[in-house]
Amino acid sequence: MTSAHALPPVIAAHDLTKTYTFHQQRAGLGGALKSLVKRKYETRLAVDRVTFDIERGEVVGLLGPNGAGKTTTLKMLSGLLYKTSGDLEVLGHTPSDRKHDYLRRIALVMGQKTMLWWDVPAMESLLLHKDMYGLSTAEFDRNVAELAELLEVEHLLNVQVRKTSLGERMKLELMAALVHGPEILFLDEPTIGLDVVAKARVRTFLADVNRRRGTTILITSHDMDDIEALCSRVMIIDHGRLQFDGGLDDLVRTAQPRKLVRATYATPVDGARLEGLEGVTAVEVSGQTVKLQADRERAGFVMEQLTRLGPLVDLDVADADVEDIMRDLFLRRSTLGDAS
Amino acid sequence: MSTVARNLRVVRRMTAAEIAQQSVYRGAWIIFMLANICMPIISLLIWRTALSNGAQLPVDERYITTYFVLLGFVTMATSSWMAAFLANDIRLGKLSSWMVRPASLLVGFVANNLSEKFLKLFALVPMIGIVWWIFRDSMNIPAGPGRWALFAVSIVLGAVLVFTIDILIAALAFWMDDVGALVQARVIISSVLSGAVVPLALMPTWSRGFVDHQPFRFTVSFPVEIVAGQLTGRELLAGFGIQLGYVVVLGVIARLVWSAGIRAYSAVGA
Repeated sequence: MTSAHALPPVIAAHDLTKTYTFHQQRAGLGGALKSLVKRKYETRLAVDRVTFDIERGEVVGLLGPNGAGKTTTLKMLSGLLYKTSGDLEVLGHTPSDRKHDYLRRIALVMGQKTMLWWDVPAMESLLLHKDMYGLSTAEFDRNVAELAELLEVEHLLNVQVRKTSLGERMKLELMAALVHGPEILFLDEPTIGLDVVAKARVRTFLADVNRRRGTTILITSHDMDDIEALCSRVMIIDHGRLQFDGGLDDLVRTAQPRKLVRATYATPVDGARLEGLEGVTAVEVSGQTVKLQADRERAGFVMEQLTRLGPLVDLDVADADVEDIMRDLFLRRSTLGDAS
Repeated sequence: MSTVARNLRVVRRMTAAEIAQQSVYRGAWIIFMLANICMPIISLLIWRTALSNGAQLPVDERYITTYFVLLGFVTMATSSWMAAFLANDIRLGKLSSWMVRPASLLVGFVANNLSEKFLKLFALVPMIGIVWWIFRDSMNIPAGPGRWALFAVSIVLGAVLVFTIDILIAALAFWMDDVGALVQARVIISSVLSGAVVPLALMPTWSRGFVDHQPFRFTVSFPVEIVAGQLTGRELLAGFGIQLGYVVVLGVIARLVWSAGIRAYSAVGA
């Protein structure tokens, strides 16, 4: 999906900040009694001067470890939370005003919260949305038919929601969120708890929705496969600060500037010849297999050297796994955070 | 479509769905209604026994009988049970899924309240009809439809008043961790001051100034008094003025507290 750069961004956040105030209470009866008399209040900076724009039709992944501030950001964008300071405009509205014109143009799906009625068929919830969003019968019928086909849930629409599986329920949640045709879809962990088949189905569906309808999607997920499958751009939030904003490729290049190379030979080889090569690190030789990391710009030269080591059977060159990159990134920051 | 019209359509849709859901639990609401009518009948029998044994009360047997026969119906019609549920939704962040949709956050509770009352009518009205038939010769039955119309209006206003008080209490959950004690206190205080346990006419004379003007009287006792008592036109006018005043004032306060609370909402949970 190409961005329409001539148009103003659909989401514009400048120095967006959110602080929470809470009181601490020690465990046990003593702590409880003490807290009755005297409470110690603390302020926590959940989101710290975050600035970004999102263009219409973009699919952006909001990443970060638990407690980093990504869900708080999502909640401010969707109007659930008031910002403490900074500027925030979504579709020309201040989200926390929760104006009708704003709410009818967005949708929020939280993987761990339902907007469907539990005891009645999903169709009842869809009909409720028809009234809530003021959809005409023709528009409603068309949207339901399209979404049900894309999600393959035609047979579930008249089944009590509580009798559906987790994966089926998430599909129905997505359907309820999209039946009014929102311009922006906020997704908080949409594939949490789903099996691999259901996850793949949901990802394909979201990609379809973005392509067909031009829906802007902002997604938080701990599943890097979701991010790789859907997002052209990622924003990494940690300790409330925006640490990275760019393409997934840029993230990989920035966080892991080396290619992972694995060469397999027909006979055991002597890897010592690779030790001194410029731009080569982490050489591991095990019988007929050589593993190493090579600088991107030296990758061609290194591969040429590998072909001279012996009779080559297989050569695999890859970027580091995004999941590993994120783990390293979060661990590094967490350690730095703990140290400071 | 205006906001009010849209919310009314949503309430209608949700009420229908709630009725469909609750119809499944037929046994539960019949038992609930039996419990609802048991207390007024027991009270009626006790007070009639007291009167027949020479107790000197400021009201006669006809008043007492009419009062307790109508009490079960009025209590059901004006009751609300949403405070604890709404407070829980606020505390656990369950309000979030409603906040991102373009409808009032309270439509679900209004629909739940209306649907339960609709269903309870089917169980309660026949029960009250039987009691009415048994005591028909010792009741004050207003002759014309005027009193009954006023009775209906005061019930609607009473129901709105109780609902508003519930919103006000539940909204405190935006700042307090638990409003359970407050909800319980409201239930206990209102059961006495509304006249649901003892007719307010039997309260000590020295307390009447307070008892007659406090808000809970207008949630149960006042509607019953319109039928059972001999309220003059002036007393009726004053009563409706005060009842409407409470609805407006508490409504404005509830709206202000709710608006401030939404700003403090922490939307806990993912």
